[in-house]
Amino acid sequence: MSHAAELIERTAAELRGIGASLVAPFAAAAGPMEGHLEPDALREWARIGLGLARLSPRSSAVAAAFFEASPAVGERGIAFLSVWAEIAVGLADRAPQAAAAFIEATPDALARLEPEELEQWAGRGRRLIRGGWKSSKLAEDFFRIGPELLEWLPLRGVDRLVDIVERVSRRSHEMGSLCLHDAPELLARLASADREPFLAFTQAVCNAAWVDAHRCFEHGPALLELVRPDQRSGLLDLAATAAAEVGSEAFSLFATAAEALARLDSADQAEVIEFGRRLTPHGARVAIASLVSAPDVRERLTSVQARRWSEAGLELLATPGAGERAESYFRLESALAEEMLEELTPRVELGSVSGVLRLYAKALSGAQVLVYPTGTLAGRNIGWVAEVATTDGLSVFLPPAVEIFGDEYANFQVYKVYTTHQVARLEFGSFDYRFGVDGEHLSSTALDRERRVRDRPSVVEPPSLPAVTPMQRLLDLFDDRRLASKLFALAEDTRIDACIESEYPGVRLWLRRLQKHEAEQRPDVQQMVLRRAFVENLLRASLGHPETIHWPERLAARLERAVAALRLVEREGATVQESAEVTGLLYDLAMSFPNLPPKLVTGEWGGIDEDAVARVSVPSDVVVQPGEELPEVEEDPSPSSEQPAYRGDFKPELVQLLDELTERERSTENGVQLTREQILELLEKSSEIELADESDDEPQDLEALLDNLEEEAAERAKGDEEEDDDEPGETIEWFLYDEWDYRANDYRPGWCRVGERVAAEGDGNFYEETLNRYHGLVVETRRQFERMRPESFRLLKRLEDGHEIDLDRAIEFRAEKKAGVGPLARFYTRRNKARRDVAVAFLLDMSGSTSEEIPAPPLGPAGSVAPVKRQVGGVPANGEKRIIDVERESTVLVVEALEAIGDAYGIYGFSGHGRENVEFHVIKDLGESLDESVRRRIAKIEPIQSTRMGPAIRHTIAKLNDHDARVKILILVSDGRPQDEEYGRERGEKEYAVHDTKRALLEAKRQRITPFLITVDSAGHDYLRHLCDDIGYELVADIESLPRRLPRLYRHLAAE
Amino acid sequence: MAKKTQAAAGFGRHQIEDFRITEEPFYLPISNEVELFESAYEKQIPVLLKGPTGCGKTRFIEYMSWHLHRHVGNREEEGVPLITVACHEDLTASDLVGRYLLEGDETRWIDGPITRAVKVGAICYLDEIVEARKDTTVLIHPLADYRRLLPIEKLGEILEAAEGFLLVLSYNPGYQSALKDLKHSTRQRFIAIEFGYPSRRQEAEIVATESGCPQGVALDLAKLAEKVRNLKDHGLGEGVSTRLLVYAGKLVTKGISPSSACRTAITWVLSDDAELQRSIEEVIASVFEE
Repeated sequence: MSHAAELIERTAAELRGIGASLVAPFAAAAGPMEGHLEPDALREWARIGLGLARLSPRSSAVAAAFFEASPAVGERGIAFLSVWAEIAVGLADRAPQAAAAFIEATPDALARLEPEELEQWAGRGRRLIRGGWKSSKLAEDFFRIGPELLEWLPLRGVDRLVDIVERVSRRSHEMGSLCLHDAPELLARLASADREPFLAFTQAVCNAAWVDAHRCFEHGPALLELVRPDQRSGLLDLAATAAAEVGSEAFSLFATAAEALARLDSADQAEVIEFGRRLTPHGARVAIASLVSAPDVRERLTSVQARRWSEAGLELLATPGAGERAESYFRLESALAEEMLEELTPRVELGSVSGVLRLYAKALSGAQVLVYPTGTLAGRNIGWVAEVATTDGLSVFLPPAVEIFGDEYANFQVYKVYTTHQVARLEFGSFDYRFGVDGEHLSSTALDRERRVRDRPSVVEPPSLPAVTPMQRLLDLFDDRRLASKLFALAEDTRIDACIESEYPGVRLWLRRLQKHEAEQRPDVQQMVLRRAFVENLLRASLGHPETIHWPERLAARLERAVAALRLVEREGATVQESAEVTGLLYDLAMSFPNLPPKLVTGEWGGIDEDAVARVSVPSDVVVQPGEELPEVEEDPSPSSEQPAYRGDFKPELVQLLDELTERERSTENGVQLTREQILELLEKSSEIELADESDDEPQDLEALLDNLEEEAAERAKGDEEEDDDEPGETIEWFLYDEWDYRANDYRPGWCRVGERVAAEGDGNFYEETLNRYHGLVVETRRQFERMRPESFRLLKRLEDGHEIDLDRAIEFRAEKKAGVGPLARFYTRRNKARRDVAVAFLLDMSGSTSEEIPAPPLGPAGSVAPVKRQVGGVPANGEKRIIDVERESTVLVVEALEAIGDAYGIYGFSGHGRENVEFHVIKDLGESLDESVRRRIAKIEPIQSTRMGPAIRHTIAKLNDHDARVKILILVSDGRPQDEEYGRERGEKEYAVHDTKRALLEAKRQRITPFLITVDSAGHDYLRHLCDDIGYELVADIESLPRRLPRLYRHLAAE
Repeated sequence: MAKKTQAAAGFGRHQIEDFRITEEPFYLPISNEVELFESAYEKQIPVLLKGPTGCGKTRFIEYMSWHLHRHVGNREEEGVPLITVACHEDLTASDLVGRYLLEGDETRWIDGPITRAVKVGAICYLDEIVEARKDTTVLIHPLADYRRLLPIEKLGEILEAAEGFLLVLSYNPGYQSALKDLKHSTRQRFIAIEFGYPSRRQEAEIVATESGCPQGVALDLAKLAEKVRNLKDHGLGEGVSTRLLVYAGKLVTKGISPSSACRTAITWVLSDDAELQRSIEEVIASVFEE
C-alpha cells in the first residue's frame, strides 16, 4: 500500500467528520501529491488541509479548494504549500469564499507571479474585504478574475485597480463590482504601455469624483484611440496630473482634450501634448486648455507660427500673477490671444474685413449688398454648395478665410478681387440676360437657333413646357447643356474681368496676379477628353495666359477662332448679350470635332498662333455650319477642371429663377404664370444644380430644393415690402460684444451676442390704468419736471456785441467814460435760445428674478425708505408687488415726466439665456415718439430669463452713441443681480458678472455717458454696492418714493 | 473773376451792394435751371435752391448774377448785385435788417444786408437758411410774396423792394432733422430748383475745367465720386461734393498722386470712422492705378 493510500485511509475518517464533500477531492489529490512530496511532507500536507477544514464551520470549501489545487503546485514543495495555506487562512478568517477563490486561482496566478509575490497579491484581495458579504464577494471576484488581470497587468498595476475598485465600492458596491468586472476587457483594449497610465489617470479621476471612475472605464479607451498610440500615455499622465487640480471636471476635460487632439495630425499631436506637459507645472487647467484650443490655433497658423503663439502664452505664464490671463489666452478667450493669432498669420479672416468689404461692395454697386461667408448660402440649400466666392444676385458670399499669399496685405487684396468680381456681376448685369436681344457688337441669333432646334427632325424630347427664365430658354437650345453652361460662365467671367480692368484700374494689378496664380495651377490638359481640353484652354486664354495653351496642332485653327470669339466680350461696351452669342459660337466650335478621350488623340500638341487669332474676324469667320452628329464619349474620365477661385461659382439660371420667383411672390394678383412642374423641369435640367449633386453625397431632392427656393423668394419679397413700409417685423438684429474677464484682465472678444428686437405688445389699458391709479403722483412728477424746462429765450446782458442796446448800461458807460474810468463797452443785449440737449436711455432688467415680490414699505411716515420684510400670516401686508411691477409702473411715470420736459429718451428691456442669446427688447427707441404701440409695449414688460447686464449695457451705449445729444444718461433699473448661465467661470460665481457689469458701466463713462443704477430691491446692496464707488447708485424700495426721488435725481444727472 | 484774383494778390474793399461779379464764372448747366431762374427773376418769384453740399448752388447763383444783366437787358452796370448771407444758428432778425450802433455821442443806424439788397435791387442769397433761427425766417415772409415789403420795426419804416430785388434761399435737405426743417409757411413762398450731382461726364468736365487736371484724372475722380456717393446713408452723412473733387483735382495738378490727393480731399474729409475710411480708401485704390 502506498503512502498515499495509507494516508487517505487515515485522514478520510477525520475529514468525513468535518464534511463528507472533502473526502473525494482529498482522495483525488493524494495520489498526484505523492509524486511531489516525501512521505513526511505528504502527511504535513494532509494536516494543513485538515487544519484549513477545521478552521471554521464555513471553511471546508477552502480545504476542498486546497486539495483540488494542490497537485498543480505540489512540485513547489511543502514549504510553499504551508505558506500558501497560511495566506488562505488569513483570508478565510473574514471571507472563506474569497479564500477558496484565492486557492483556486493560485495555480494560474503563479504563471505570472513569483511565489514570493503571492502574499502581496492576496493582500490586494484582502483590501477589498471590509466585512459584510458584499465586500467578500468582491474579493472573491477579484481572485476569480485575478489570473486574467495578471495577464494584462504587473502587480503594481493591480494595486491601482484594486485601489479604484475599493474606493468606488465604498460608495457603491454595484459600481465597484462593475469596474472590477469590466477591467479585463478594458485592459485588453489598451496597449500594454498605456494600461498603467490609464489606471493611474482613473485613480486620479476617482480621487476627485468617484462616480466618474466607471465613465473612465467605459469611454476612456475609445477616447484614447483618437490619439496616436505613442502619445497616449503622455496624455494620460498629463490628464492624471490635471485631475488632482480640477476635481470633478477631470474626466470631461480629458474627453474634450482627446476629441480636440483627434483633429490634429499625429506630428502635431506629439508637439501639442509635449507642450501641454511643459505647461503642467503652471497649472493643469492651462495645460488642458492648450490642448483643447490647439486644433483651432493650428487651423489658422502654420506649425512654426503656432509654436510662436504657444511660446508667447508661456511667456505670459512666466509673468507673476498672470495665471488667469494665461489660461484665457490658451482657451482662446482673450483679446490678446486673438491679436497674437492675427499678428502671426498672413491669413485674413472674413470676419475681420467683412465690414469694409460690405461698404466697398455697396460703393461699387450702389445696391444694398451684404457680405456673408459661403457657409450661410450652402446652409440655405437653394442650389449652392461649394465653399467658393459667389453671389445669389443680392448678396456676396466669400470664403471664411484667405491665405493664398504670404502676407496679410496681399491676402486682403485677394478678398478685394473676390468681392470686386462678384459685385461686378451685379454692376455689369451678368444676370440680366434677355432672350433674343441684340448686344452692342453682335446681333442675337438665339431666335434662329431656337427655330432650328425646334425644326430638327431628330429631337428626342422636345421641351414640353415653356421656359421659366431667359437663361433657361437660352441653355435649352443646346444638347449638351452642361457644356453650354460652362462656356457661358467662361464668356461672362471673361467679360466681367475686362469690365473690372477698365472700370477699376487699381484692381488690375491684383487681378492679374491672381490670374497668373490660377494659370499656374491648372490641371493637365492632355489628361482630358478633347472638348474639356478645349474649354480648359479657353479658360487659360481668358485668364490672360494664352501662352499656357496646350492643344493638338491639327485642331489649332479651331481653337484660334474660339479664342478670337472669346476676346469679343472683352471689347468696350460688350454686354451679357454678347456673352450669350459667344457661347453659341464656342459651343458650335466645340461640337465640330469629336470628343475623343486623351489616348485617342493623335499628332503633336502645341500652342496657338497669336497672329492667326488677330486675323480672325468675329463672328463671320467663327460661325460653324451645323454638321453631322458626332459620336459621343459616354463617360467623361478626365479630372474636373474647377473654376478659378477668384471667379467663384456662377449660377445665372438659379439667380434668374430666384428673381422670377420673387417677382411672382410680389404680384400674386396678377395670376400665376409659373407652374411647379415648369420650375422643377428647370431645376432638373440645370447643370448648376447637377454640380451640387457631385459634391453632395445625399441625393438632391429637387422638391425640397424648390421649397427652399420659394421660401427664399418669399423672404426677399417680404424684405422689400418691409423696406417700403418700414414696418417692424419679428426680425432680430444681432450684435456682438466683448466681455470683460476680470481674472484674465482682458476682454473676451466677440463673446456675447445681443439680439435686438421690438418688444411685444401687451394690454392697451394698462397704461391708462396706471395713470389713473397714480393720478396724484403723475401730476406731481409732471409738475416737478416741468420746472426743469428751460425758458426758451433768456436775455443775456452786458455783451460787447448784441442785437439791442441796453439803455441803462449805455448811460452808465457814457457817464463812466466821461469820468475817465473807461470800462469796456458792454452795453448790448441778446436773447439766446437755450435748448435742452439731453438723451436718456432706460435699461430695464427683465430677468426672471424680477418676478420676486419685494417687501412692502412700512406703513409709517412717508419718506422713510428702509424696507422691512413683513409677513403677517403669509398674507402680504400691502398687496405685495413684484420687482417687475414696480419697474413697469415706474416706467409709466418716467414716460409721463419726460414727455413733459421734452428730452429724448429710450426705454429698453433686457434678458436672455447664455452668452449667445442676450435679448434686447426695444420698448421705445430714442428717436421714436410715444404712441399707442409704445404704451402697449410698456404693458408687456415681463420677467423672461437671466440677467447678463454687460452686453445689454454695451448695446445701450451703442444706441446712445448713435444719438446726437450733449448730455447722455444711461439709467439701469434692475434688481441688482447680474446672473446668467456661464456668466463667470464657475456656476453661481458672482464676481465675474459684477466685474463685467462694472466694466461696461465704466465704458459708458469713458464715452461721456453718465451711467446710473437704480436698484429696486433691498438686497441690491449686497451685489452691486462695490460697483458703485464711482457710479451713481440709488436704491428705490417702492414706487411711492420714486416720483419724489426721480426729478431730483434726474436734474442732478442732466445738469450740464 | 478779376476782383477775386485781385483780392488774392492784395486787398480789395467794396460796399456790399457795390460788389459785382465781372467775369463769367464757370458754370455747366445740368438741366434747364438757367432758364427757370431767368423766368423767375423776370416774374419776381423768389427761388429756393435745394441740393447737397458742394453741388454748385452758390456757383449757380454767382453765375446767374453775372448772366442776368444781359438778358434782363436794361441795366447799365454789369450783372445784378449779389448779396450773400451765410446763415448760422445765431443769426437774428437784426443781423439781417440792421441795428443801432453807438458812435461817439450818438447812435447810428446801420442797414443790414437784406435791407441793402432791398434798396439796391440785388439778389439776396440766404445760404443754408435752415441754420438760421426760426424768427429770422418769418421776417422774410412779406418780402417773399407779392408784397415785396420789408418792415423795419426799429425805424418804424417799411421798405418797398427795388425792381431787381430777388430773394433766393439755399437749403440742404440732407440734414433732415425735424428741428432743422423749413417751415411750410416759408417754403411755400418760393419756387424750388433742385440740384443733384451732375452725371459722370458732366462732373468730369467741371472738375477738369475748375481744377485744370487732365481729363483722364477728372473722369476717374467723377467715377470715384459716383461710387463713394453710393455709401450715403451707410455711415456717410453726405456724398462727396463736386467741390471736393475739384480740390483733389487741383492737388493732382500740383504733382500729388491721385490716390493721396483723394485721401486728403475725400477720405479724411468725409468720415472719421475708421472702417468707413478704409472702405473709401479701397474704392480709391480700385479706381486709381498707382
